[in-house]
Amino acid sequence: MVIETTIILRLTAAFTTMYLVALGHSIFEKSGILNLAIDGVFFLSTGVTTAVVVPLTWLLTARGLSLVLSTTLAALTAGLATAIIGIFMAWTLTKLPISHGAVGLSLMFLGYGLGIIAGYEVRLRVGSIRPYTYPDSLGIYLAILAITVLIGLLTYFFIFKTALGTAIRACGENPHVALALGASVLKTRLIAGLLGFFIMGVGASFFVLLWQKYWDIKTYLLGYGWLAFTIALAAGRHPIVLIPLAFMFGGLVEFSITLQARLGLQADLAKMLPFIAALILMIIYGSTKLRRIFEPPGSLGKVFYKEERTI
Amino acid sequence: MSSKVLSTSANISSAESVENVILSARNISKSFPGPVIALDRVSLDLYAGEILALLGENGSGKSTFVKILYGIYTPDHGEILMKTGRILERVTINSPADAMSKGILMVSQVPQLISKLTVAENMALTLTSLRIHGVKSLTSIKKILKIISEESEKIGIKIDPNEKVYNLTYTQKQLVEILRAMIVNAKILLLDEALTYLPLLERRKLYQALLKLKEQGGSIVIITHKISEAMEISNRIAVLRAGKIVGVVNTWETTIDQVRVMMFGEERSKQISYVKVQTINPRGEPRIIIRNLHVEDDYGREIVRGVNLTIHAGEVVGIAGISGNGQRELLESIVGLRKIKSGDIYVDNVNVKRSGVKNIRELGVSFIPDRLLEHGISPEESIVENIAACTVRNGINIPWGLIEEISRELINSYQIIAPSTKTPVKYLSGGNILKTIVAREIENAKKALIACNPTRTLDEVSAIYVRRRIREKAVNENLAVLIASEDLDEVLMVSDIIYVMNTGRLYGPLTPEAPCEDIEKLMVM
Ligand SMILES: Nc1ncnc2c1ncn2[C@@H]1O[C@H](COP(=O)(O)OP(=O)(O)OP(=O)(O)O)[C@@H](O)[C@H]1O
Ligand SMILES: [Mg+2]
Repeated sequence: MVIETTIILRLTAAFTTMYLVALGHSIFEKSGILNLAIDGVFFLSTGVTTAVVVPLTWLLTARGLSLVLSTTLAALTAGLATAIIGIFMAWTLTKLPISHGAVGLSLMFLGYGLGIIAGYEVRLRVGSIRPYTYPDSLGIYLAILAITVLIGLLTYFFIFKTALGTAIRACGENPHVALALGASVLKTRLIAGLLGFFIMGVGASFFVLLWQKYWDIKTYLLGYGWLAFTIALAAGRHPIVLIPLAFMFGGLVEFSITLQARLGLQADLAKMLPFIAALILMIIYGSTKLRRIFEPPGSLGKVFYKEERTI
Repeated sequence: MSSKVLSTSANISSAESVENVILSARNISKSFPGPVIALDRVSLDLYAGEILALLGENGSGKSTFVKILYGIYTPDHGEILMKTGRILERVTINSPADAMSKGILMVSQVPQLISKLTVAENMALTLTSLRIHGVKSLTSIKKILKIISEESEKIGIKIDPNEKVYNLTYTQKQLVEILRAMIVNAKILLLDEALTYLPLLERRKLYQALLKLKEQGGSIVIITHKISEAMEISNRIAVLRAGKIVGVVNTWETTIDQVRVMMFGEERSKQISYVKVQTINPRGEPRIIIRNLHVEDDYGREIVRGVNLTIHAGEVVGIAGISGNGQRELLESIVGLRKIKSGDIYVDNVNVKRSGVKNIRELGVSFIPDRLLEHGISPEESIVENIAACTVRNGINIPWGLIEEISRELINSYQIIAPSTKTPVKYLSGGNILKTIVAREIENAKKALIACNPTRTLDEVSAIYVRRRIREKAVNENLAVLIASEDLDEVLMVSDIIYVMNTGRLYGPLTPEAPCEDIEKLMVM
């Protein structure tokens, strides 16, 4: 019984983290900007979370407020911090004709650096940050799970059923045409950057607060940002399709050690499993009619220059 | 040509009255890297209740000018004034959203719609930006769908707003654009060759709509290379040449010849002649034989229905007809770009039914596709590279020096306006891009040339040069030519034998001497 609860908690945490990060990333990429900053942003969020959650918990618990409040506020703060990066990225890549790859990778390294600066000292002082994370309560985990799924559904509705969501997709398909139709490419992408990176940041903070309950400067070596990137790719950036995939990939990561033991795999091979699964999925889409649904946005990663001749 | 498209009626009033100006562009200049001076201190007024034809040869700056009015380009110098109340006030137009909020809307030759989205979703962008019917960022697409349904009903344009744009025909897409203009309630409508590719019938319908807009005090700028049509529907004509306004005249006070002189200058306008290029060519052996050909369109409907046709070496066969009757699909299937449902095609007695484009090209068959801007070019590549793309296919060593030389020759002889041979073709004006490909295909044709509307966006002088070259190639180099064109004058000018294509079948043969009315009857029956 106890073991089962632990499994549910860990799986929920893995899902929530991977899903939200992949979801936020997908919103942003739907607007046509290639997000290679994802892994740095992931780590930055975990660093900021660590830096914020500790003092905030001291402050709030001293006033008799609950741990859940301080952890939640820390998650939202991490979201805001990463949102700044999202806005910056959206602005630079829409206003200036520079390469998405260059900006994304630079921001990735910036994220690693800032994340270390943010979290290092606090981490040294408290040693373990487990006491500053969400309590292992099934109720709390399920509540967060419910909210996460709700956010996913709302995002689906927003992207596919509202005018602004349509503008985001339009900017991703062809920003020049979107502009000619009356959309403001800059405003639309800023909104996608803000919203997407906020969700990403909150999601990544759950890595610390809900899933691993651990943070270290070496966290940046884990590449979980890239895993979320892969999940988004395999799900065609679709908020609903992301749900089973984030669940599956989260599970693969969470249980890779178990799998490794059961199947007698090498540790390194076990780590590759999620990526192999993603490749297989993409090959399946690519060779079937599903291709149309999972196609990336037509202008993803293309430099946007307003006066460019588009014919 | 159709002289009854419409009569310009007595509404020619406004010519000099400043009272009626609704937009005034003053000293507009715009240059591009190259360097290219696309517009040089252009001043032009638009009056309420007029149709202004903006004419000029390929590359003269017409598109650049209307793109500035629509907020896509920002001018380097100059200002735009618009009527607010009774006075003209300076305005800044930084984006199409800005332009639309001031009642300006542009429709261009290539529909500016996102194919993956539905009609309503495309419209959603416009409605939100102008807050039409209270549409805001978070308004549901469902509500927008309803608005579009109602509006299109009211306006009388039948389009299913829930249809994905990639499922629409070209004409339907342009109708969506026009519908957009109506919903936005545009006062100033800029049509950049927007009607050029539409079938005659649709064009006539749209002219009626334009007249209505004009009567309501709207103002329409039409860019076209069909001068005769401009003469028929416009009140005034403005001519651009190399980025400068060379004249603005009242249509009723001028003649086609005067307009041509303004466009091309005395010297070059003399080259314009629509009499048949007289060359006598002995008919050679049959080169392309088509037997009982059936072909489907993109939606699986049979669009070519049993075509039999023989094209001999040294002969130009012209197919007249309103576009959309299977011409494009017929031609595409000959060059291997479209699957053949049944029937046979022989090139020099080789059955090429399943040969594929590459092999058919290697047999010496050249091809000028319809709506080339959408599918015929590599926009990022330079002129030289686009020309090389078919000149030298075999071998790994591409003789760039030679191709460079060929390119320069073609640029000269076809008068392609470009800063250099290294310029990516996407930086050329629409007509000059077409000229690049047309030149490449004509000059490289060894055995046969298959062409679909090869001069549709070319200015008259260029179009006439192209037609002359096609005939010369046929006669001097024993080329077999099949040319389908919506422009009956063109077909009459170049062909030895004429067929009319209507609902998937060929009618004919007729000779170019056949009475025009007979041919037109076959086209619309
Ligand atoms: N975005 C751009 N970048 C670089 N050069 C451009 C751009 N747009 C236009 N030009 C250049 O400006 C000049 C005018 O082009 P424009 O498209 O206005 O001609 P046009 O009169 O519309 O010709 P056409 O009849 O062929 O359409 C051309 O020499 C073209 O190469
Ligand atoms: Mg043009």
